[in-house]
Amino acid sequence: MNLLKKTDHNAMYLFAGVLGMFLIGGVMTTIVPALTEKSWRQETKGTRPYTAAQKRGKAIYKREGCWYCHTQQVRTLEADRATTRSGWRGVKAPISTPGEYVRDKPHMLGTRRIGPDLARVGGKYDRSWHRTHFMNPRHLVPGSVMPPFPWLVKRDGGKEFEDLVEYIQTLGRTINWRPDNDYER
Amino acid sequence: MTSSKKTKETPQEPAGTSERGQDLSAKAFIISSIWWFVISTSVGLLLAIKFLWPEFMGNTPEFTFGRMRPLHVNGVLFGWLLAVDMGLLYYVIPRLCGNRLYSEKLGMFTVIAFNLVITAAVFTTLGGVTQGLEYAELPWFLDIGVTVVWVVFGINIFGTILTRKHEKMYVAIWYTMGAIVWTTFVYTAGNFGTELFTGVNQANLNWFYVHNAVGLIFTPLGVALAYYLIPKQTQAPLYSHKLSMIGFWTISFIYVWTGAHHMIHGPISQWLQTVAIIFSAMLIIPVWTVIVNFFGTVSGKWDLVRRDPILKYLMTGTTFYLLTCFQGPMQALRSVNAITSKTDWVVGHAHMAVFGAFSFFAVAGCLYAVPRMVKKPLYSQALANSAFWFMFSGGLIYFVLLWIGGFIQGLQWNDPSIPFIDTVKFMAPFWWSRLAGGTLIFTGAVLFLYNISRTFTYDPASATATGPTPTEGDTKPAKAAV
Repeated sequence: MNLLKKTDHNAMYLFAGVLGMFLIGGVMTTIVPALTEKSWRQETKGTRPYTAAQKRGKAIYKREGCWYCHTQQVRTLEADRATTRSGWRGVKAPISTPGEYVRDKPHMLGTRRIGPDLARVGGKYDRSWHRTHFMNPRHLVPGSVMPPFPWLVKRDGGKEFEDLVEYIQTLGRTINWRPDNDYER
Repeated sequence: MTSSKKTKETPQEPAGTSERGQDLSAKAFIISSIWWFVISTSVGLLLAIKFLWPEFMGNTPEFTFGRMRPLHVNGVLFGWLLAVDMGLLYYVIPRLCGNRLYSEKLGMFTVIAFNLVITAAVFTTLGGVTQGLEYAELPWFLDIGVTVVWVVFGINIFGTILTRKHEKMYVAIWYTMGAIVWTTFVYTAGNFGTELFTGVNQANLNWFYVHNAVGLIFTPLGVALAYYLIPKQTQAPLYSHKLSMIGFWTISFIYVWTGAHHMIHGPISQWLQTVAIIFSAMLIIPVWTVIVNFFGTVSGKWDLVRRDPILKYLMTGTTFYLLTCFQGPMQALRSVNAITSKTDWVVGHAHMAVFGAFSFFAVAGCLYAVPRMVKKPLYSQALANSAFWFMFSGGLIYFVLLWIGGFIQGLQWNDPSIPFIDTVKFMAPFWWSRLAGGTLIFTGAVLFLYNISRTFTYDPASATATGPTPTEGDTKPAKAAV
């Protein structure tokens, strides 16, 4: 208590106090796990670096703010894995693991699910589905609130659309989770 | 220094005479920030419309949801709230220290530089230039601008504190110093440190920043203002010095541990989730001590709250702070999080914290400080009251309806037999309510801007003053109530 009273009068004590208190928690929750949690930086087996087109596609995904409405994580909740959620055609989606994200910078984990989670969307829909969907999502999903992105498809002969789909089709594919390689192109 | 246990403390102020150029940077920061408040709120309103008509303003890439959302978020957080807090502290800190602001020139530099940064941010966010991390969207060259402004602001405030006339530092000064120190680290970690990491490591640092931006920047700045304003406006001594010490030192230790609660059930180590949950629950300690202190100070003087718009903002802000910080620990519990996480519940929660609590404190600060700086009564008490009722009712509709809708949607998500799109359609009535609430909030913001602008410009000789003249009764020495 006497020590605390000192900080009432001495700005330097206060400065040192608030900095010290902060640094304990700051170091323990950010730097320590970065050093000790090997799984956070060890890539899942089978991870391939993004191709040039996929990189461009991810940049478009970032630029258009897709990540504000779509998370990319199958959480440790049964419902997240369901075939009506991240799963597909009778197969439950595997839970996301840190190793799947190592090549992602920036990470696209997301905080809000205005639209569905995209962690395992790679290979769910083919290119023509995506083309129609980007032109107007409501053509395929009545009731959707996703904005249309016709210029991605139309501008420069749809180059940005092609790149974006290249990226989308990688999502969740590090793990080969569907039997018989049942993925759309 | 009379810090005996019997002494009750009130914020101290000097009896000094006003000088030319005094409070210039405070005035400039406050008025520019209120403009950003109105602009950013209008962007929020447009976003709310997009939920109901997804094609609304959707013909140009610049005005799609993904570009306008970061403009709204960065606009309210930095353009409005951080800026108005800085402006108000330029007013408050010198008065608590018994001197003048260390440098009005440095002060004006921060006002101009910060407004340039925010103006540039409008173009970068709409142009799709983004770092792709929440709250850290601004590109690196603007981050450097924000950092420079913050350091200069810190130097200015520390300079004022180190040359103070009153030896004992009032609680508001502790929180301000804490915020300056913490923000420097939190902002650097979130905007530059994240560049060193990828994947989950980066996500962890990202949410360390996001959470502490609220907890160690806007919370201490807002609480500092309320610690100053509540005793001032009620003319009552602070309820308990001991409680303020417990509140301050517990928040400075506890808050920083909680960032990982944004990833509960997510791809991050369980031990870190558990640590974040435990510390989130412990946050009840600093929050409740502050709340008890504020309510205790007003105790017996509640009739003032009925009449005075400033106290209305302060006490509803305090109540929203209590509620938001009760929700926080609850949402961090694994069982609750499984329902509320990623839903509109969180949006309601976040708006109650940033708008309901800390913006209300800041609005109260503007209504208090501006008339005293221009030495005229507030342009209109009636307008201040109606602005309050617009913001309060709009906020309440906004928060509560999104909690209800978000919670039910979360329950629906946990039932895999319900198709996802049905849970989206279900939200429509709640998104309508958000638009209604948002419209009320926006109306309140416009009235508030008009009232403050007119307070600056009106001629007291020709106008009929509707409010009490701000007397220098403020300058009476502290420790009045021994």
